Amino acid sequence: MNTSSLSIALVSLFAALIAVFGLIPKIDLPLGVPITLQTLGVMLAGCMLGPKRALQALLLFLAAVAIGLPLLSGGRGGIGVFFAPASGYLIGWPVGAFVAGWVMHMLPRATPRGAAISAFVASAIGGLLVVHVFGVIGLVHIANLTWEQAIMGTLVFVPGDLIKCALCATVVHTVARGLPDWRFGG
Amino acid sequence: MGSLYSDDPTWLHGVPAAIKLAFLALLGTSVFLTSQLVALSICAACCLVIFASLGSAAARAKPLIMGLLFASVLIGLFHAYMQQPMVGTISVLRLISTTLMGIALTLTTRHTDLLAVFAWLLRPLRFLGVEPERLSLQVALMLRFTEHFFVLWRRLDDAHRLRTGKAGGFKILAPLTIQMLVAARRVADTLHVRFRR
Repeated sequence: MNTSSLSIALVSLFAALIAVFGLIPKIDLPLGVPITLQTLGVMLAGCMLGPKRALQALLLFLAAVAIGLPLLSGGRGGIGVFFAPASGYLIGWPVGAFVAGWVMHMLPRATPRGAAISAFVASAIGGLLVVHVFGVIGLVHIANLTWEQAIMGTLVFVPGDLIKCALCATVVHTVARGLPDWRFGG
Repeated sequence: MGSLYSDDPTWLHGVPAAIKLAFLALLGTSVFLTSQLVALSICAACCLVIFASLGSAAARAKPLIMGLLFASVLIGLFHAYMQQPMVGTISVLRLISTTLMGIALTLTTRHTDLLAVFAWLLRPLRFLGVEPERLSLQVALMLRFTEHFFVLWRRLDDAHRLRTGKAGGFKILAPLTIQMLVAARRVADTLHVRFRR
């Protein structure tokens, strides 16, 4: 199979998966930042595709949002969402997916169990830590919060995101058993 | 899946996408460089006038405007509670200015025109494997897959409900991902045969 064709298909597919997660209703929190399942898509893209393809998938998804497609949870889209309080999280998605993919690539993934543990660690670093760092920077600059307030605000998401890391690890474990030839982390 | 683009012609439809994006980038940077209430108020008023001048085309963005109002009220109330009403006002004025112009750009620019600008902007990322010339094909594929996988998700959920009497929830995530990856390989084969790459 040609690598270039596979890249096109996988990048488009994972961008679509993140869009599908957006069709599942979001929960709004104070500060205008919603809890969505789409960050799970960021984690999955990193762990399943590796750094470069994950980055491409997220850039493709954000480009589709930016051109006006209502792909974010709650049917949001357009350039305007990149100026909202949650825009730091959005900008953090491609970087988080890249980092998750890179960490996954570095960790052992020969056995399903090993791949699942690596996926949890990669998701926690890329999909949680990196995304939240960008989110906090966005909250400080756009919502004019202090660093302490922004960090306290973002901590609300951490328990939910840890559950998403566990879900990502479970999916990776199942895929490792169902598709033994799949190359996690690229 | 419908775009937020409005077919109702307005004066802003005639402005090239690159100029609108450059204006938005300049506006976004400028409002964050100043904290002067008067300047930000004038800027927000101008943005409101520009947005209102779109007339009936602006009506399409009602859900987005509601979201903007919701976020503005939350930020305003939060800062009022923290005894920082001025900081809250400045944040809300910035949010209104940039978001309204972002929505105006989305309403009045065809996605193909924006894609062409993005493809040009993404050129420096070639070293990371990003191929801007593929962007249109990938957006089209992504939209096709979004509908396909949403249907697949619901089908798996129905099957799970029939077997267990409960909604599938996260339990169907792994089978959905496996089916997706298998589909990706099939699509890659098809693309290879079709485009020879």
